[in-house]
Amino acid sequence: MTETTIAAPERSRRANLLRTQEGVLFVVLVAIIIGLSLLSDRFLTVNNLLNQTRLFTETALLALPMTLIIISGGIDLSVGSMLAWSAVMLGFSWQLVGLPLPLAVLICLLTGLLGGVINGLLIAYVRVPPLIATLATLAIYRGFSFGISQARSARGFPEEFAFWGQGQVGPFPTQFVILVVLIVIAHLVLSRTGFGRWVYAIGNNEVAARYSGIPVERVKFTLYAASGLMAGLAAFIFTSRVTTTRADAATGLELDVIAAVVLGGTSIFGGSGSIIGTVLGLLIITLLRNGLLLTGVKGDATFMVIGLVLILAVLINNLVRRR
Amino acid sequence: MIAPIIELREISKQFPGVRALDRVSFAVREGEVHALLGENGAGKSTLIKILTGAYQPDSGEILLRGRPIRIPDTRHGLALGIAAIYQELSLYPDLTVAENIFMGHQPGARWRVDWRRMEEQARAILQELDAGDLDVTQPVRGLSVGNQQRIEIAKALSQNARILIMDEPTAALTKHDVDRLFEIVRRLRERGVAIIYISHRLEEVFLLADRVTVLRDGQVVGETMEVSKTNQAELIRMMVGRTLDTLYPKEDVQAGDVVLDVRNLCYGRTTRNVSFTLRRGEIVGLAGLVGAGRSELAQVLFGITPAESGEIRIEGRAVRINNPRDAMALGIAYVPEDRKNQGLLVQMNVRENATLAVLRQLLRRGFVDYDAERRLTQEYVDLLRIRTPSLSQRVGNLSGGNQQKVVVAKWLASKPRVLILDEPTRGIDVGAKAEIHRLMSALAQQGLGILMISSELPEILGMSDRVLVMRQGEIVAELDRAHATQEAVIAAAMGADDLRSEPLPA
Repeated sequence: MTETTIAAPERSRRANLLRTQEGVLFVVLVAIIIGLSLLSDRFLTVNNLLNQTRLFTETALLALPMTLIIISGGIDLSVGSMLAWSAVMLGFSWQLVGLPLPLAVLICLLTGLLGGVINGLLIAYVRVPPLIATLATLAIYRGFSFGISQARSARGFPEEFAFWGQGQVGPFPTQFVILVVLIVIAHLVLSRTGFGRWVYAIGNNEVAARYSGIPVERVKFTLYAASGLMAGLAAFIFTSRVTTTRADAATGLELDVIAAVVLGGTSIFGGSGSIIGTVLGLLIITLLRNGLLLTGVKGDATFMVIGLVLILAVLINNLVRRR
Repeated sequence: MIAPIIELREISKQFPGVRALDRVSFAVREGEVHALLGENGAGKSTLIKILTGAYQPDSGEILLRGRPIRIPDTRHGLALGIAAIYQELSLYPDLTVAENIFMGHQPGARWRVDWRRMEEQARAILQELDAGDLDVTQPVRGLSVGNQQRIEIAKALSQNARILIMDEPTAALTKHDVDRLFEIVRRLRERGVAIIYISHRLEEVFLLADRVTVLRDGQVVGETMEVSKTNQAELIRMMVGRTLDTLYPKEDVQAGDVVLDVRNLCYGRTTRNVSFTLRRGEIVGLAGLVGAGRSELAQVLFGITPAESGEIRIEGRAVRINNPRDAMALGIAYVPEDRKNQGLLVQMNVRENATLAVLRQLLRRGFVDYDAERRLTQEYVDLLRIRTPSLSQRVGNLSGGNQQKVVVAKWLASKPRVLILDEPTRGIDVGAKAEIHRLMSALAQQGLGILMISSELPEILGMSDRVLVMRQGEIVAELDRAHATQEAVIAAAMGADDLRSEPLPA
């Protein structure tokens, strides 16, 4: 090695687009869109695609903080249960307690936040491993949902309430607009802020992060609390969309969320990943599901296709990185 | 000329962007200890991996007892009698000593293990290694590094290794274990085993090796030499390709005011009533055996394990240090002992690593100011002469010496008043070592107070204005530069009495 101490200019990232996970995913996504639009003429229509955004917003909202959590080396299995608990609290406080609807919505958001705060305290300060802590709260929060709702579902929400889950802002579904704003925020936080850098650092090497003065506990706590708050928001939009609150809502949703994040190239071991990847992962899963349905593939086959795509994406990613 | 047992001819190996080995020829005889020297990145590891079968050469041939062979993988390598013992040991902690030794080639029929025979054979092999006192039925977990290494050697011998490669075997050993290791190596040599010995410690080469080959930038420098016909200065020159004026460029500095004053500091059983002072411009060496509590003391000072009692004063002001952030705010920086696990984010790049400790100062409304970040990183890359193709190079791809410089850069960027260096040059090559020493000296001249923990006595003696010696969590001796001799430090570290230095002039 020669005595070059002057660093060369940083290499342009664009030149290597196809070598990144995002690049690979983008190509896969385009291929899926072309393939499905050939198979069904109902697939590639503005109406169909915009409608899809209504169905995947809740998953997508949860996938944003989940991306950061997984990058930090953790996981949050309780998101589906937090959503259900928050939704039940919304219906309960409005219909049974008789609170005004805006207040009930606030309670819904706070319930999610509370769930996240409990997770955060357990993981960051009591030092319960995230997998175990949120596996436990997955059960506990679901238990709360059933206990509070007593198997009754709230329904009959006023018409204006439907705006958030069924209404439109211009040509776009309301929740799609909210989602886009939050995607941009999450992307900026993760890729441009000091907090985002800390998240990567913790996932990379928690000890070294602590030795470098990073407030590891506070960062982790914030991540899980944010995940809870997002579950509250998703619960609100979900309730507005389906106009009923049930204790068994969003059962198993955490698996969809984690699948999208991992498909998006976020390492399950932490340390790497991106919001753009997660969004691409979400799009691939959603469009595949919808497109296969439209082309007449049965639901159970759709599950298998998604599983295969997940494995394929990881394989391709490994091949790309090895080069 | 004795025929070599194994010979490499014109071996080349290319990696993306690097020519790791360039027509390297190299031969080892039976019953010799053949030292392989070179700075980090010179191609030693690649050479070993080709010998064991982990890598395939791009060109060239390997001859075993004069016959050309191919080693498609390490399993084949072992079958041919080629075994390697790495710096990082690879035992299964929950399996027993005997199970570890015979892992993968247990005696017995296909579906069952002959436990009795396995244990007997394990005992016999350990006996040969003069380690017959080890209980072969006990799990490996909790055994000393020295004992674990003996098990690794036993494992190699149990597979009838005739060519044994030892990669930095003494890096983590205590003095006593080093002596025992040397004894074992000599014994193996007598039995005709060919030993390829890699070490950064030149003294060991002269103590142990018969012949020596030096690698630099993937090529053999000159040719293999008899150790008796060379000397340290020549070997260093061959390794670094230039003359190093000195490895310990310590300048005399007029010590300034007391910057760190520690009184009766206690933490658990590892830090007991520790009192000392550190002045501006001073380099204080902290010596002691492994486990004497030196790193533990550093971790108390840095707030990783906050003190249970005692007093810390920074520039005369009593302070509390409850976590690393407190320590950093007070101007204390700590370059930890374990670079990979405590110092670096190996998957992240030079820029992200270098600015990690000062990221807060580079934020504008929470957002990272990339221009400022790049400028700051470039400044320290230049200052420390970090050799990296770019600021966005993954730190894991740099050589050990450059990785260490990145950690040092991270802490210098925080503009500390007190710099604690824990084994600052462990496992890095001679060239980088001299550079780090030169830097320490320059920093001290600028008024930084440096506390340097080191297990290398020449480094302690060569760089320190004052030496503190720790034993069992206590500071047992304080020696000024004039009185700090190898004997005095060792005696204090080992607990020989009446060797406390006379009181220092104020």
